[in-house]
Parts: sequence; C-alpha cells; structure tokens
Amino acid sequence: MNDEQTRARFESLTLPLMKDAYNLARWLMRNEPDAEDVVQDSYLKAFRFFEKFRTEGNARAWFLRIVRNTCYDALSARNLKEKELVPEGEINDIEDTTPGPCASVVAKATIETVRKAIEALPVDFREVVVLRELEGLSYKEISDVAGIPLGTVMSRLSRARDQLQLLLRERKENDEL
Amino acid sequence: MNCEECREFIDAYIDNELDAATTITVKRHLRECAACAQFLEARKGLRALLGQPELAFDVPDSLRTRVLSALPVAPAKPKEDADRFRRRVVIPWFYVPVALAAVFAIVFGLALLQPGWIPGHAGNRALVAQVISGHVRSLLATHLLDVPSTDQHTVKPWFAGKLEFSPPVQDFAQRGFDLIGGRLDYLDNREVAALVYRRNKHTINLFIWPSKPDHAAPVQTFSENGYNVLHWERGGFSFWAVSDVRMEDLRAFADLEMQSS
Ligand SMILES: [Zn+2]
Repeated sequence: MNDEQTRARFESLTLPLMKDAYNLARWLMRNEPDAEDVVQDSYLKAFRFFEKFRTEGNARAWFLRIVRNTCYDALSARNLKEKELVPEGEINDIEDTTPGPCASVVAKATIETVRKAIEALPVDFREVVVLRELEGLSYKEISDVAGIPLGTVMSRLSRARDQLQLLLRERKENDEL
Repeated sequence: MNCEECREFIDAYIDNELDAATTITVKRHLRECAACAQFLEARKGLRALLGQPELAFDVPDSLRTRVLSALPVAPAKPKEDADRFRRRVVIPWFYVPVALAAVFAIVFGLALLQPGWIPGHAGNRALVAQVISGHVRSLLATHLLDVPSTDQHTVKPWFAGKLEFSPPVQDFAQRGFDLIGGRLDYLDNREVAALVYRRNKHTINLFIWPSKPDHAAPVQTFSENGYNVLHWERGGFSFWAVSDVRMEDLRAFADLEMQSS
C-alpha cells in the first residue's frame, strides 16, 4: 500500500467515527476545547499506529480506546482526574432549572438534568455509562476500550446506574415539593 | 435465585449480555418477586432517559477541518519494517513449485470470492478506499459543492475552465436521482470531476476522469464500511459512484448513466 492509499484507508475507517470520538471525549473532559484537543491528538496518534491495526479488527473499539486513553492522559496531566465523588456543590447545581409549564421547556430541563447527572459521575463510572448507553457498545467492546475485565464492566455499570437513579430521583423529589 | 443474585445480574439482563440459562433464571425470579420487578422498571425508566438522542453533542464543524489539516500525508514508517524488507529472503529450490501453487490458489481463490474482481483490475480495489474517503470527506468538510446547481447545462460548462477534460453531466431527477451540483476533487493522483446527486436523503458522489479512449469496462461492485461503490468505464471516461444508498439503487443509477450518452 502506498502512502496515499494508506491515508485514504485511514480516513475511510476513522472519519465516520468522529461523532463517537468527540462525544466520548466531550463527556470525559466535560468541556468543548479540551474535547476538541483530545480528538485531534487521537487522530494523529491513531494514524501513527495505523500500521499496527489489523483491518479485520474492530475499528470503532480500536479508535475509541485511543480516544479514551488520550482523555485519561489529558486528565491526569491537568490533575483533573476525578477519583472522588462529586463535591456537594455540583449535585446542587442540578436543581437549578425549574421546568416551566411549556412541554418543550420540560423536555429541555430533562435533557439538561440528565446531562448534569452524567457529568456528576466519577470518571470511571461516567465512561462505562457513556460507552454503553450513549454509544451502544457491548460489554466486550467496553472491556477492550476501557482496558478492564468483563466482570468489572458489569459491576461498574450497575453502580453507575444506581448513582444516576439516585441523582435523578433527588432531582424529581425536589421538583415535586 | 434470590433477590441479591437477581440484582447482581439484572443490568446484564437488560443489556442482553447474559447467557441463556441465567436469563431464564432471572426471568423466573422477576415473575415471582414484585420488588425486583419494580427495580427492573426503574432501570428501564433510566434507560429511556439516557436513550434520548438530544443528549449527544454535535461535532463542531471547525474540528473536522482541524483534524483533516493536522493529519500528515503518511504515517511515520517504523524502522524495523524497512530493515525487514531489505533482508534477503532465501527460498530452498524445492519449495518453489509449492510456493507458486500456493500463490496461484490464493489469487484465483480471491477472484472466485469477489464477484467484482476482474483480472487486470487489481488496482481498482486500492482506489475503492480513496473513493470512499473522498465521499466521506465531501460530506464532512462542508465542501460538497463548488457549483450548486440542478441544471446540467450550468454544471457542465463550469468544469470547462477548471479541468482539461469535459465530463458528461446528466440529470436523472425524473428517475429519482436529483443532480444538485458539482465540485473539483483529487483522486488517483489527479484532478477529477465530482458530480453530486441526491437519492431521497442520501448523497451520491460520481467521480469522473478520462480513461483510455473508446475503452469500455463493465460495472464492478464493491462494499466497504457501509458504503457501496460502483466502477465502470465508457466513452473514454472512468466512472466511480459511491454512496450509502442500497446497492440496487446505486446499480439503477449506474444503469441510467450508461444508457444516456
Ligand atoms: Zn427479588
């Protein structure tokens, strides 16, 4: 394969994955500029290692793993890597928007609420939720992307969902008061 | 199965990740236990909240351009690869017929497996990736059209000043393929004409450049990564149609192009 064919092949495999890559980065980094930097770095890294990727492999899992690792590098480099549960203040932020009488406002509030609840999760819980619920990966793919055993995928996903339900229920009870 | 075990498996259960035997046991417990059934409902409610498509973030347009311009032309070649190729490979003479037979079998085996493959056209397979990449890029980079027009008599002369050849331009709107315009693109180491068509909501790129004069080649079909690609030659031009529309639709499109003159 010559250079031009390699580049073309790389683009046809990875460009359709930009939305998945950006969303994963956006959820993990929790802001736009960092997510954009991570996606660009990931494309450059993936291109550098492209010869090691076997064409019959799962391109999506391969590429998302690179994105995920780039996110973690960026998070730890900036000392932002959240290991603890969210500080109280952030959860309280969720209660800010009060749904109005208009249906679309209610729907919007729900989206905002859910988004904030996801963002409030610790990063290793957030990642399994995003990969499973928003990007639709199988447990096996999540295990490949996040580099954790299948059993850990299952237990982390359970605990992440427990926390989300808790966060969203608190929010609902506050609305009803 | 007790409640504790049921809760342990319930997430894998709603994710369809359990083996058949455990699925049955979980199902049986859910029928008998109101508390666990209620827990399952709560999980389904959560799933509905998380399944809202509005939660996804849109990719900023600037990012696409940024990534495409940041990518180098070629990946850096690992050094050991070059060394490996330089090393002489010595094959004992008695292996030669065996090796030849193996090569023969592989080449013809491949030819049989790939209906679109015609001897002498091996280079076309390499072009397929370029064609798909050109298509994807045209959709991403907000550079789909240089000349937006549904009129073939506007699109055809537009190319005249820009290319050293004049591509055939046809509109097939009456047959469900609307011409929406054209642009210049770069494929196979040369500037090519790209005609853009719409089929329902899907985009078809038709790349055209000169081939051997009066040479004709029948349609070859390729499918890769969810894209269908057709290639044919006629009237001194090489044609490449690419889209995510169904193969039958793309084939109908190619037939229309070939019947026109
Ligand atoms: Zn139970």
